[in-house]
Amino acid sequence: MTLLEEKTQTMITLRNVTKSFGSVDVLHGVNLDVAQGEVLVLIGASGSGKSTLLRMMSGLETVDSGEVWVNSVPLHDKRRAREIRGHVGMVFQQFALFPHRTALGNVTLALRKVRRMSREAAATVATEQLTRVGLADKLRSYPSQLSGGQQQRVAIARALAMEPTVMFFDEATSALDPELVGEVTGVMRDLAQEGMTMVVVTHEMRFAREAADRVVFMDGGVIAEEGAPDQIFANPQNPRTQQFLHRVLDV
Amino acid sequence: MHWGVVTENWHLLSRGMLTTLELSAYAIFFSTLIGLVAAVMRLSRVPIVAQVARLYVEVFRGSPLLITLLFVYFGASYGGYELDTFPAAVIGLSVYEGAYVAEIFRAGLQAVPRSQWEAARILGLTQPRAFWHVVLPQTRTIALPPLVGQYISLIKDSSLAIVIGLAELSREGQAIVDRVGQPLPIYLAIAGLYFVICYPLSVWVRVMERKSRYS
Repeated sequence: MTLLEEKTQTMITLRNVTKSFGSVDVLHGVNLDVAQGEVLVLIGASGSGKSTLLRMMSGLETVDSGEVWVNSVPLHDKRRAREIRGHVGMVFQQFALFPHRTALGNVTLALRKVRRMSREAAATVATEQLTRVGLADKLRSYPSQLSGGQQQRVAIARALAMEPTVMFFDEATSALDPELVGEVTGVMRDLAQEGMTMVVVTHEMRFAREAADRVVFMDGGVIAEEGAPDQIFANPQNPRTQQFLHRVLDV
Repeated sequence: MHWGVVTENWHLLSRGMLTTLELSAYAIFFSTLIGLVAAVMRLSRVPIVAQVARLYVEVFRGSPLLITLLFVYFGASYGGYELDTFPAAVIGLSVYEGAYVAEIFRAGLQAVPRSQWEAARILGLTQPRAFWHVVLPQTRTIALPPLVGQYISLIKDSSLAIVIGLAELSREGQAIVDRVGQPLPIYLAIAGLYFVICYPLSVWVRVMERKSRYS
């Protein structure tokens, strides 16, 4: 009984995950659990492996060894990995919107082709989701007609429309002008409030401090330190964490 | 010059033009189909599949259309098949132009960022659906102008079907010249008729280019 309870509460489990690209070791031996409803923020220098870890959890990369479980799907099992598709959401740094489709068309595509919804039902869901991210007046706009912040919110709506069990954010605000960052992190905060399980790779330390349940600092392909944001930001234990935070917080 | 020779033989010229149009339409359809399949194969992660497509492209780009047409027509009879000149011309032209079309599609497909595939995949779209609904439509801006350029070449190349005896536009013209002389007005008329077929395509692609800014 307790075992079953534990299982339903853990959304993501990584065990001894390793990955290398050619001769470059990116991850060596990562262990991590993410609980349902948890907001986990991954921080670290570029090349520390945090994006690779995120892509692994979303099924875009496969492990060399170790285990990755997401929503009870074993992503390390090539035959079963595809079961996760359509059940997790991913927001990319460069938005990855479909440029030939309107905001509405971006959101409806998977609803129609994967969820098999009728045109009307898909449009209703898409309108709902785009309204939720504050874009009710941009349904018919093409990505090229939207600002970066608006495009990223369309991307979030597109992911949310599939009712994902987890949302992954891969440096979702890094390509945005500074004054547009707030509108995207605002949507992300709302999501966190609503209890969405989220794994977020970001350089927005304010978001990490204020919205995260737990912060994981990655360094050289391993988890160097993890803990509550208060602890990580106010009282980091690992000298590497201290150095990193010193650099990014500009103090 | 006696332009009368053109009007007197108009029924032959228009019959030839219809054959040219028909041959071109079939060849455009099949070369596009072949080119699309070959382009997808060339981008396959399975080495042997990519190599087969590459071999196809290199072989037909590296040999004259004249030879391809003769090869299809006479090769078929060697193999024991009776192939009429029209289907032989369609096959030869399609296979030859398909090699060029494949390279055009390949360039277009490669210009689509990988993240488009990834976004589609995470949303749960299968690979064929991602290709059809996400990736292929995005090649339009890049691939359409050179593609139509290739179609125009194809229409003019179709005149080479003369070597296997197909009574298309240039062959009909040639026959008139052989019979009554007057090469200048006849050849001018033929050139004009090819232009009449090709020019609308040029205009059309320019209009499409102006419209295809995703808005």
